[in-house]
Amino acid sequence: MATERNDIENALNRRYEAGFVTDIETEYLPPGLSEDVIRQLSAKKNEPQWMTDWRLKAYRHWLTMPVPEWAKLRIGPIDFQAISYYAAPKARPKSLDDVDPKLLETYDKLGVPLHERAKLAGVAVDAVFDSVSVGTTFRKELAEAGVIFCSMSEAIREHAELVQQYLGSVVPVGDNYFAALNSAVFSDGSFVFIPKGVRCPMELSTYFRINAMNTGQFERTLIVAEDASYVSYLEGCTAPQRDENQLHAAVVELVALADAQIKYSTVQNWYPGDENGVGGIYNFVTKRGDCRGARSKISWTQVETGSAITWKYPSCVLRGDDSTGEFYSVALTHHAQQADTGTKMIHIGRNTKSKIISKGISAGRGQNSYRGLVKVEKSAEGARNYTQCDSLLIGKKCGAHTFPYIEVKHPRAIVEHEATTSKISDDQLFYCRSRGLGEEDAVSMIVDGFCKQVFKELPMEFAVEAKKLLEVSLEGAVG
Amino acid sequence: MSATLLQSLEQAYAQLPPAAMQAGRLGEARRASLAAALADGLPGARAERWRHTSLRALERRAFSPLPATATVDPAVLAAIPAPRIVFVNGVFAPQLSQLKDLPEGVSLQPLSQALQQGDVREVEFLARRFDAADETFARLNAAFALDGLLLRVAAGVHCTQPVALVMLGAAAGGDHAVHLRHCVELGEDARLTFCEYQLAASPQAHLLNSFAHLHLRRGARLDHVRVQGEDAGATVMTRSDAVLGSEADYRRTDLELGAGLSRHELNVSLFGQHARVAAAGVLLADGRRHLDTRLNIDHVARDTACDLTWRGLGADRGRVVFHGGILIRAGADGTAAQLSNKNLLLSANAEIDTQPVLEIHADEVQAAHGATVGQLDDTALFYLRSRGLPESVARTLLTRAFCRVVLDGIADAGVRERTDGLLDARLPQVAA
Repeated sequence: MATERNDIENALNRRYEAGFVTDIETEYLPPGLSEDVIRQLSAKKNEPQWMTDWRLKAYRHWLTMPVPEWAKLRIGPIDFQAISYYAAPKARPKSLDDVDPKLLETYDKLGVPLHERAKLAGVAVDAVFDSVSVGTTFRKELAEAGVIFCSMSEAIREHAELVQQYLGSVVPVGDNYFAALNSAVFSDGSFVFIPKGVRCPMELSTYFRINAMNTGQFERTLIVAEDASYVSYLEGCTAPQRDENQLHAAVVELVALADAQIKYSTVQNWYPGDENGVGGIYNFVTKRGDCRGARSKISWTQVETGSAITWKYPSCVLRGDDSTGEFYSVALTHHAQQADTGTKMIHIGRNTKSKIISKGISAGRGQNSYRGLVKVEKSAEGARNYTQCDSLLIGKKCGAHTFPYIEVKHPRAIVEHEATTSKISDDQLFYCRSRGLGEEDAVSMIVDGFCKQVFKELPMEFAVEAKKLLEVSLEGAVG
Repeated sequence: MSATLLQSLEQAYAQLPPAAMQAGRLGEARRASLAAALADGLPGARAERWRHTSLRALERRAFSPLPATATVDPAVLAAIPAPRIVFVNGVFAPQLSQLKDLPEGVSLQPLSQALQQGDVREVEFLARRFDAADETFARLNAAFALDGLLLRVAAGVHCTQPVALVMLGAAAGGDHAVHLRHCVELGEDARLTFCEYQLAASPQAHLLNSFAHLHLRRGARLDHVRVQGEDAGATVMTRSDAVLGSEADYRRTDLELGAGLSRHELNVSLFGQHARVAAAGVLLADGRRHLDTRLNIDHVARDTACDLTWRGLGADRGRVVFHGGILIRAGADGTAAQLSNKNLLLSANAEIDTQPVLEIHADEVQAAHGATVGQLDDTALFYLRSRGLPESVARTLLTRAFCRVVLDGIADAGVRERTDGLLDARLPQVAA
């Protein structure tokens, strides 16, 4: 018993492993937000005029919008003038080999297979460090397949037509408060284009890291899958440990044309703040996929273990007939973390199908809410939805909440929603303990089983990471 | 902003009999409630709790809140046995009511009578203030209600006869806003079956704003059946606030069969340990009916339980809106909460919006909710057709079976039979 207590103590004191700061020279824009800042930002990135105008339009709209308050979150006021909207490592890399070795070391520490390791893992990585994309691996191999995988800045310069055609077509400039802000000041992100009939030969991946102080990260990702193409995309995030809250407001847009499939997986491990709720990332993200073509499919899988506050609803607009939307989520809140996350499935086309599996785990004083909308429009004959959201409570002071909205306008639609909330049963724990497992191991095993439905949707290397992350995040939650 | 409805009420407030308005020194509370309602106006589309129910059409209408007499054919009440208390357009109707022969320990009187007697303790619930900006109808009720039912059952008394409250709407030359406030109190270990009817004696387009307070002390049991069968032109705003003491047992069944627009808010506070509520209902939205039911079950004490079963039917251009909110507060360990909301969408122009919500702040709980929207099972229909039943009969039969579970919860056989009859009379129109 005594050793077990020590284990727990040790675990409790364990630090956020990705919480180091990399000491490299960084170029900033001074904190503050105005039309001039946006023009400077746009100029620094050598953007064409249309892009600058687009940003300014978004900014002007953002100024007219009220801060949303509907989420079940306690958010301190955000001073948008105290944030620097651009931070980049000073030495601009010409190619991957020129990337600052310290930066590569950082990704090494994080376990991102950026360089040689990428080859072994067979994953093409676009890494975003603060505001700029520092390198994209496997460019040549992808180019041979006709796949475009590059940073958003580069795409704006080199593939302007595609970007102009699709950017903002899924998440319009004024969609919501944080999306409008992102549209005005987005720094970088990834652009993926899969041409007709191409099955992307490898998994694509982005790694985001906030390093500099007082910066916000506003990445913008756009993935377009043309007819009958396929892509699997992975996204991971970390940030150093700091006492102040940092803002991360991203926008991700997915477009799937006829018969195309996009699989988007996220492991979010932003710094969650310490056990008293000091510091941590505010993660306010708009993610939306548009199943434009018939029989297209978009699948979101997310494992959310980090961030002080998560505000995120990856959604699918099921426009094409027979299109499919999926959402698999594990969200964990521990200590003082808060999460308000879920999805929207908008059924417009005939025989559209959607599936939602959401698993929430609350420990410590964590507050975890599932918020979802399933909407079946009048045109969506034969639409089908199944939703399951389960919550697990670990501890007396945490909270788990479920806010599903179901709106059905077609009489040939079938919508099902079920939710349960309970703590880990004493019987289950007792059984595991009687088989010789320590309490932490028993809880971790039960939690793993609870999340299984979601983990099996993740690509293998991510599933391993997600499982480990969950174990680390839950340490000290019991006892 | 909000124009005619509130303006018409504001103008009429001054014309109300001052003696009645001031009775029990409640004038201050009434004026404050009216002022608050006028200041905040009717909740708009951005008010989360009114997200699916628009009040824009109602807002533009003017109502007279002055009592309107109307003659009513007593045949409307034939199926409702005594004891019963009847209000016609919000006015106590002694000739239709039967208040005699109540068992000892049961007191039943109209609120207007208690106000005349000026006993402040009897009517102290009228002084309650409503803080939320979207509680417009509760505020209007607090400002205007001059009548209603006061029903008390003394500790230990088991009232075996069901007591009926009947609110009748009758044509009276113009549209009237009717505000009624009721209070039902059960002493320790008391038992009562209470039936509440909101019915139409003749076609009209009144606004009925009915608000009931229900108090169950330790170990009390209340079986409560409410049938809303108003005229298709009428608007009905109903609110039921129940507070349950330890081991109190509240069982309730709500049938929403009528009105053009009906909104029911059922707020139950499980205040004492081992208190439990079992509530069930049918929402039958055919024609152009808009039926909105909103449950807020608040688990305050340990070891409390709720079991909620609602069925919705959307036909023609009808719309069913359901919100099932369950809040489990910190410290309410040992709570068991269960909600099931199933809906049938029977026509192309009907709509169903449902939102089961769980908010949980304690960890030793078992909470689950389920919601579905679907159609009658084709296989079951085929089976019945193959046994020689015409399609309309088969559909009615399956729809009735779908609603069965709600009516099964009514304990009193006589009440169950009557309620069953009311639903059965409506089903063929909806299902076929």
